[in-house]
Amino acid sequence: MQNPVERVLEAVPFCFGEVLVRKSGKSLLLCHRDEDAQDDLEMFQNPEDAIEIAKYDDAGNYRPLKTAPNLRHGWRMKLQSSAELKHALGHFYPGRLAVFFAWQRGELRTTSLRETLDRQSGMYRIAATISDAQIDDLVAGFCHSNGGCLRTILWKRDQHGTIASTKLPIQKFDPTLDQVQALGRTGSATGTTVPLLCQESCNLLVAACRKVVKGE
Amino acid sequence: MTDKTALLIVAHGSTVNPDSSAPTLAHAAEIRRRKIFREVSCAFWKEEPSLRDALFLFDPKSVREVYVVPNFISEGYFTQTVIPRELELNGRITKRPSGQIWKYCEPVGNHSLMTELLLKRAGEVAPGVNPAETSLLIVAHGTDLNENSAVAAKREAEKIRALGKFSEVLNVYMEEPPLISDWRKLTETRNVVVVPFFISDGLHSYEDIPRLIGIPAPAGVDRGGPGSTPPATAHGEVFRRNPHKIDNRSLFYAPSIGTDPGFADIIVEQAKS
Ligand code: SF4
Repeated sequence: MQNPVERVLEAVPFCFGEVLVRKSGKSLLLCHRDEDAQDDLEMFQNPEDAIEIAKYDDAGNYRPLKTAPNLRHGWRMKLQSSAELKHALGHFYPGRLAVFFAWQRGELRTTSLRETLDRQSGMYRIAATISDAQIDDLVAGFCHSNGGCLRTILWKRDQHGTIASTKLPIQKFDPTLDQVQALGRTGSATGTTVPLLCQESCNLLVAACRKVVKGE
Repeated sequence: MTDKTALLIVAHGSTVNPDSSAPTLAHAAEIRRRKIFREVSCAFWKEEPSLRDALFLFDPKSVREVYVVPNFISEGYFTQTVIPRELELNGRITKRPSGQIWKYCEPVGNHSLMTELLLKRAGEVAPGVNPAETSLLIVAHGTDLNENSAVAAKREAEKIRALGKFSEVLNVYMEEPPLISDWRKLTETRNVVVVPFFISDGLHSYEDIPRLIGIPAPAGVDRGGPGSTPPATAHGEVFRRNPHKIDNRSLFYAPSIGTDPGFADIIVEQAKS
């Protein structure tokens, strides 16, 4: 029986966020999806190298959110097995493949932003006092695929099922869509996309809610 | 360990320090290489995968048991409040609706092997130096509301002192007495070895402790926020200039203990015990 990674690989080539994966003979080639046509890319063969590639953007700034649309350019990675691919993708987009598989199995639970905020303690406890209108604005700017984050939002604002932000395009909530293409960005477009799913708001958004409350 | 067992190493991570998660990821890669567990993953409070993502990292069909080892220096707010809450743990053993069992282990810093590791690191940073003519200083943060690292550093200093190898062994702190900045008064020996008792290198070990000791600060350091370029010391230059000659003394300054490859052994031991 094929494991889930192999099943995804059947669809090669595919895009996972800004990473393009395709086959070349028996090898798997990964690169930034903007650059498949480039032939002067720095070559890597070890999946662990993905940690360093994903750490800084093109300008050398640290990337605290790996699903932000600022993966650096200029590299290509040649891998030999689906196990290596799983490791590399786990470093480019930590946790996203496993969350996608859980979603496919029907086991992914989502958590509303209000539940996440109400659970916080310590310095983040105050974040729960953010208003609905403030959330609507904050999420629209913070999570937007154009400059914010490439994940598809699956979580709701509250337990009543309110949409996370009424100010985000509806495509932001559709896992069948490619968030990079939804931006209208050029570059390599392939038929298949493995979505980067957001089942629960990240710690960065919680921290941003706190800042809004504190007026920082 | 069985072929249906996974290891989850939990660490703090950082939104500003690019080196915060590096040791945890390196230890995970080493343990993965040893093939003790079917899967080895990391999860972070401030990085990805998040602690909440960790709930979905292991397919219950192939992984029946998950050992959760906090890569923290001591018990504290994170090990006692944040990690159990975010991972939905109800104590030492939690059974998920899928039947998957999660076992919550002690933080790495609590293990008795930590003492040997500190000794090893002290020996490596000051090769050929006679411990009997040397003071060993273990530096923790102190006044840290989130961790009892001060207590842990004190315990380790006591254990090493009891071995009688070093002339003096002291636990010192950045923000409470005994202060690391008072090292000249606190020690009398010609040689002084300083080992930061932290999980990873970062602003404390690259900049703050060297400044408190009196090691000249490298130029161009950017204390930065998210997106700022890493500090000029990011590649550990300060650890390669040993010994630092200060006031006719030889001071040997080690990287944070958590960057030692020996941490991988301790993580495995914490999962087993
Ligand atoms: S909450 Fe989700 S979509 Fe928004 S920035 Fe964080 S990870 Fe991205």
